[in-house]
Amino acid sequence: PPLPASSSGPSDEPCAHVRRDRANTDFRFTRRFPFPRFVSSSRLSSSEPQWSDRLMSQHFSRTDQPQDAGSKAASLHWTGERVVSVLLLGLIPAAYLNPCSAVDYSLAAALTLHSHWQVQQSFQGIGQVVTDYVRGAALQKAAKAGFLVLSAFTFAGLCYFNYHDVGICKAVAMLWKL
Amino acid sequence: MAALWLRRAGHHCLRAHLSPLLCIRKWSLPMVMSICHRGTGIALSAGVSLFGLSALLVPGSFESHLELVKSLCLGPALIHTAKFALVFPLTYHTWNGIRHLMWDLGKGLTISQLYQSGMIVLVLTVLSSVGLAAM
Repeated sequence: PPLPASSSGPSDEPCAHVRRDRANTDFRFTRRFPFPRFVSSSRLSSSEPQWSDRLMSQHFSRTDQPQDAGSKAASLHWTGERVVSVLLLGLIPAAYLNPCSAVDYSLAAALTLHSHWQVQQSFQGIGQVVTDYVRGAALQKAAKAGFLVLSAFTFAGLCYFNYHDVGICKAVAMLWKL
Repeated sequence: MAALWLRRAGHHCLRAHLSPLLCIRKWSLPMVMSICHRGTGIALSAGVSLFGLSALLVPGSFESHLELVKSLCLGPALIHTAKFALVFPLTYHTWNGIRHLMWDLGKGLTISQLYQSGMIVLVLTVLSSVGLAAM
């Protein structure tokens, strides 16, 4: 039997980036949350046994639906976050074993970037709660901009410290000798 | 709603007119560790920002500030405690961060592995904090 024609409704704005094809709007498949397009078909078959294989391969196989620019950027951002985390992890023993100005500046960069991205992420979570209860788009934009300024100044301050003062590695060593 | 009435904590939250967000779900080790990971992360970021901003705004070199602290003649016990307090969030966040990265690789995601890795992280945190504070 033919599936009902898709109707792209104005609701469910969080999943607006998900293309509204027939599988998403058929009543059997509709979810309250956006169903990720790039879910592997094996996971689908374990949770929804009534879905036909043809449908799954047609609508949910990776090769059929290339990621759009938005989700590709998000995926790259996620990978970038992990790379910075691993870098920071490696810099800690490097700072102890081989303290030098290159490690100082790399630490400054990795530290500020990691904290900026992760704190932004945690506040986005809290921000969802805030947007539920507080209507203030301008306030949120101001908070985001303010946070970016704070991170920029933190990085500038750390670089200033590295250049004009003893540097991060030496500073920790001096502090520990207290 | 039923859960709120059945659980004692939920009952308390209802009477205190609190949001049931923290009362419905039974507190578990992974949940608490996740909250602590976020909390330590925010605290560490705040510390780093404070350090960076004071480098720009507060006059005087780092050495002069260290001399100031040295002149206070704080006892070794206090200094040891302060070092421990500084290093504990850092080690917790680092070891739990490694645990997070393992999850991102898809490893150790079953519930029993969650609890095992959690205990390992806690033990490593305490050991490394004590070790680093003693240095």
